[in-house]
Amino acid sequence: MASTQSEPLLAVENLRTAFHTDKETVYAVDGIDLEIQRGETVGIVGESGSGKSVTARSIMNLIEPPGHIHEESSIRFEGRELTTLDESEYQQLRGGKIAMVFQDPLTSLNPVYTVGNQIKESLRLHRGLRGSEATEAAIELLEDVGIPDAPRRVGDYPHQFSGGMQQRAVIAMTLACDPDLLICDEPTTALDVTIQAQILELLDDLQRERDLAIMFITHDMGVIAEVSDRVNVMYAGEVVETAPVVDLFENPAHPYTRGLLRSIPGNQTDTDRLETIQGDVPVPNEPATDCRFADRCPAAFEDCRAVHPSPIAVGSDGQDHTAACLLYPESASRSEAVGLHRDGIDSDGGRDV
Amino acid sequence: MSTLETEPRSRGLGERIRSDPEPATVWAGACLLLLSVQFGAVFQTVRALFPGGAVGSYVPAFVGAPVAAAGEFVGSLPTLLTRDVIPNQGYRLPGQGWQETFLGLEPAVAWLVRVALIYVYSLAWLALLWWGYRIFRSEYRAADWTPMDDKVARFRSHYWGISGVVVVFFFVVMAVFAPAMGPTTVERNIQEPFSYEVSYFDEEAGSVATETVGTANFESGSSGTPEENVGPLSYDDYGRFHPIGTLPKGNDMFTFMAAGARISLSIALLSIGISVLIGVGLAVFTAYYKGLSDLVAVIASDSVQAIPQLLLLILLASLLRGTWLGSLYNGAAVLTIIFAATNWPYLWRAIRGPALQIAENEWIDASRSFGQRPRRIMQKHMVPYVTGYMLIYASLSIGGIIISVAGLSYLGLGISAPTPEWGRAVRMGQDYVTTASWHISLIPGVMIVLLVTAFNAFGDGVRDALDPQAETEEDAEIATAGGSGA
Amino acid sequence: MSRLKYLGKRLLLSIPVVLFGTSITFVLLRMGPIDPAAAILGGQQTQGGNYEQVRQQLGLHRPLWEQYIDFMVDLFTLKLGQSWVIAQGTPVSELLAQYAPRTLWLGFWSVIVALVIGIPLGFYAGLNPNSWSDYFASFGGIVWRAMPNFWLAVIMVSLISQSQKFGFDWQNWVVSTQVVTPPSLNNLTDPMEFLAALKMVLPAALVLGSASMGNEMRIGRTAVLETKNANYVEVAKAKGAPGRLIVWKHVFRNALIPLIPIISGEAFLLIGGSVLVETVFAINGLGYLFFQAAVNGDLPLVGSLMFVFIVLLVSVNILQDVLYTLVDPRVGYEGEGQ
Repeated sequence: MASTQSEPLLAVENLRTAFHTDKETVYAVDGIDLEIQRGETVGIVGESGSGKSVTARSIMNLIEPPGHIHEESSIRFEGRELTTLDESEYQQLRGGKIAMVFQDPLTSLNPVYTVGNQIKESLRLHRGLRGSEATEAAIELLEDVGIPDAPRRVGDYPHQFSGGMQQRAVIAMTLACDPDLLICDEPTTALDVTIQAQILELLDDLQRERDLAIMFITHDMGVIAEVSDRVNVMYAGEVVETAPVVDLFENPAHPYTRGLLRSIPGNQTDTDRLETIQGDVPVPNEPATDCRFADRCPAAFEDCRAVHPSPIAVGSDGQDHTAACLLYPESASRSEAVGLHRDGIDSDGGRDV
Repeated sequence: MSTLETEPRSRGLGERIRSDPEPATVWAGACLLLLSVQFGAVFQTVRALFPGGAVGSYVPAFVGAPVAAAGEFVGSLPTLLTRDVIPNQGYRLPGQGWQETFLGLEPAVAWLVRVALIYVYSLAWLALLWWGYRIFRSEYRAADWTPMDDKVARFRSHYWGISGVVVVFFFVVMAVFAPAMGPTTVERNIQEPFSYEVSYFDEEAGSVATETVGTANFESGSSGTPEENVGPLSYDDYGRFHPIGTLPKGNDMFTFMAAGARISLSIALLSIGISVLIGVGLAVFTAYYKGLSDLVAVIASDSVQAIPQLLLLILLASLLRGTWLGSLYNGAAVLTIIFAATNWPYLWRAIRGPALQIAENEWIDASRSFGQRPRRIMQKHMVPYVTGYMLIYASLSIGGIIISVAGLSYLGLGISAPTPEWGRAVRMGQDYVTTASWHISLIPGVMIVLLVTAFNAFGDGVRDALDPQAETEEDAEIATAGGSGA
Repeated sequence: MSRLKYLGKRLLLSIPVVLFGTSITFVLLRMGPIDPAAAILGGQQTQGGNYEQVRQQLGLHRPLWEQYIDFMVDLFTLKLGQSWVIAQGTPVSELLAQYAPRTLWLGFWSVIVALVIGIPLGFYAGLNPNSWSDYFASFGGIVWRAMPNFWLAVIMVSLISQSQKFGFDWQNWVVSTQVVTPPSLNNLTDPMEFLAALKMVLPAALVLGSASMGNEMRIGRTAVLETKNANYVEVAKAKGAPGRLIVWKHVFRNALIPLIPIISGEAFLLIGGSVLVETVFAINGLGYLFFQAAVNGDLPLVGSLMFVFIVLLVSVNILQDVLYTLVDPRVGYEGEGQ
């Protein structure tokens, strides 16, 4: 679970995605770095408006105008730079090596075509299968995701499936071409809690069977704890903390992460009032010149509103844990630390400690 | 407008006005001022609405006579915006300018002055009403803010909807002030032209001569050839100004169109009003009681809708033509009734969805549980909710009625001659479309298109103002497609 | 509930509708002020031997409810009677056979014109919002909705008959035809005859279809816009589907669904609007026949024609339901999903 020396499956560097409207420009993703290794599950957690979904869509290049991925961004998949690909090359990638599962399974499926038809569409696009071959493969996939009576169900329409089954069918669709990376954008948010558990279990099984890397996006800390190997915490378009999952929960560094963990109802010690983080996530419509969390941060001091924090390594060595906060590095004095951030030291993430 | 009842309604509207009477009295004073200018005309119109013949014979003489006399007196009170005060018919003596027109202006200009004044007057009324609404809202209303305020605000910034309102306003003013707006009157020019005379300067004889309007018309017809044509914005040989030309028989077309506007709008608004009442009442009733009443209503409405509306109109119009009903207002009464009777199914269907929706709401059950009577429930909770939607569909249907009336008149079945109607003008000018007399057929059509589009725009504006994110029925789109197919 | 059951339910519901509609017609006809016997005799005579004889012949002396039963039974067994006034003695069925084809020809081409022009334009506008075609589609839709088709017909006829003035000879273009005359549908298999018949009906079809065309443009555009932003479209993109596949497979089929009531709504417009257009273009079709019958008080003809129209309308409704069940598998499933 520590970072290996081999090339990561997915390496995102300085990703910036902005939406230019007449009224304002929204820097939805403002310079983030991410890494996913083969076969690992990386979680991205944050409130609505933090930029998690835009990150996922940027990786898949599903950003439509007025959205625009900055030239300085770099997305490397299996060593290949994606930002320079043209649309037809990207189409080969999408649904093939990288696949995506979205939040609402019912609307993810086209209501007028059978589920089988939509799975076979993927099969035809990427593996060239047709006819009875394709149908057999589709049935197999439905069985892989745990849908009973698959041969009959392959001819059913989406509305004939229950919510959980729909999401399984969607997952089957994404697996059609044996992807290396599966991006899941809040795949269980729209489902009942019990179904949610089943889907997570399914994803777990599939990961083991197929050596699948998963990028799991959610706002639910509990789910993150269950599925991830590593976690990235996003706030207002930036990654504010990165850590292996256990370390994140045991030693949260960034005040925001601490606030998130404190506000989980199960973690509450004071039984009178539920703790929350006051305020709302700001809309990042200016380039970052300060800490965007400062207004809601219980530990904020003056410099927080003047200096933009860079990710700094925290905690014990070898744990690969960084946080973008002026409070760190803990070992340094306040002014030294601020100086480090201000000079942009460790601007590449400060990972290799 | 529902008010938020967070405090006991201790003071009614009357009380509130009495406690701060100044703004209200100022406003009322302004209203009275505007009204006084047009007293005579207002009463005349009211009088004209009653089909004197039918009703008059039932009223005993000792009651009828004084009433009639009073009516005459009031009707003869001076009115500002009339042909008497601002005349536009005169003749020009060589070297001396125009005689008998307003301020000696050219008839065209005099007419324009009067028309402009009419519009200014109407705008003044509109401003007054808006001002009154603002006063009410800021001084006298119990609530500081209601959801209606948001809706009004949204509508005000909806440019397409506002443009619709403007055009509709233009036509409504034309209809309301029709007798005063045309260069001449329907009675003089169209209905009894041989009972009136016009003075003109006879160039050959070199002196002022008079001629019956009828003969003058005869010589001023537009029949296609450039010699026999009086086109838009021109004078005829008798010194009369015709803003949009003359008809083949020489009648002034603007007068014709303005009177036609009156008829079309009256029929449309009246019949829609009746359909709306039926539709809302039925929708609220069937949504509340459901079950059998709903089923019966569905079958009834489907049956009525299964009959092609235009064909039904043709049938009924032909059947009732010779009867007393058909001669009421020259066929307008029949048409109004038929439209009311055939349009309610569509309207009811359209708001059935929202009505059912609100009937499902729990507060309906709650009201019922503490003993609220059904009628009150329907009145208080359901009707206000449904009314907004009804406004949308009603305004979208009005266009269809206007087109259907015109279509029927085109066929000769709608409003019978000599009462003006736009469709008849189209028929009259049918053969001259590509000639110099293109105005006869083309202008009525353009006016219809403008008016119907304006109503549609208004409906769109209301729909967006009510709920910008609502998914309204696509049936609304069907409704606006010229209604029954005319 | 399966789709078939849903369809069956709709079929069942349409029977009372037809019954009621026809009954209303009967009431209007018999209760109306037009005296059938007087109409036949063509005069005002309401007395005398002739009059009584005619009344006897027509069965008018029998009690009203008996007449009602007869009327309904006759209609439903398709004994449509004879024309009394317009073409005395001619069976209605014969008149139908004579006049109907022209209306069908006109109707068919109206629908085609509207579909072929309206829907593609609407779809194109939806796929390319804020382009010139988008503004054209929106504007066109709005204006066309407001245009009275009889007015359009008048203008069209004038333009065409005077087309030489504009440097274009319509009458002799491709095939030599007259403008204001019924199309001859006798020999459609001959290409020249076919072209001639097509050309004669095309302007009228254009006028009649134009209202629907405007509608289809506007709804098609909205439908495409909404479908384009649907989640499953994004999912299809995420699967790597190329643009053409997305548009033709995913967007269009879903965008067609809201268009179905429009297309069947066309039929309503056709049945009503044909009267006006047929009159202007002198196409002697059913609408024109109906008009003549109504104006001349030819009651059996009117009654039978009305019945035919009602059945037609209701059938179109059912057709619409059939189309819905074919295109949208969710039909009849409201509220059920498991």
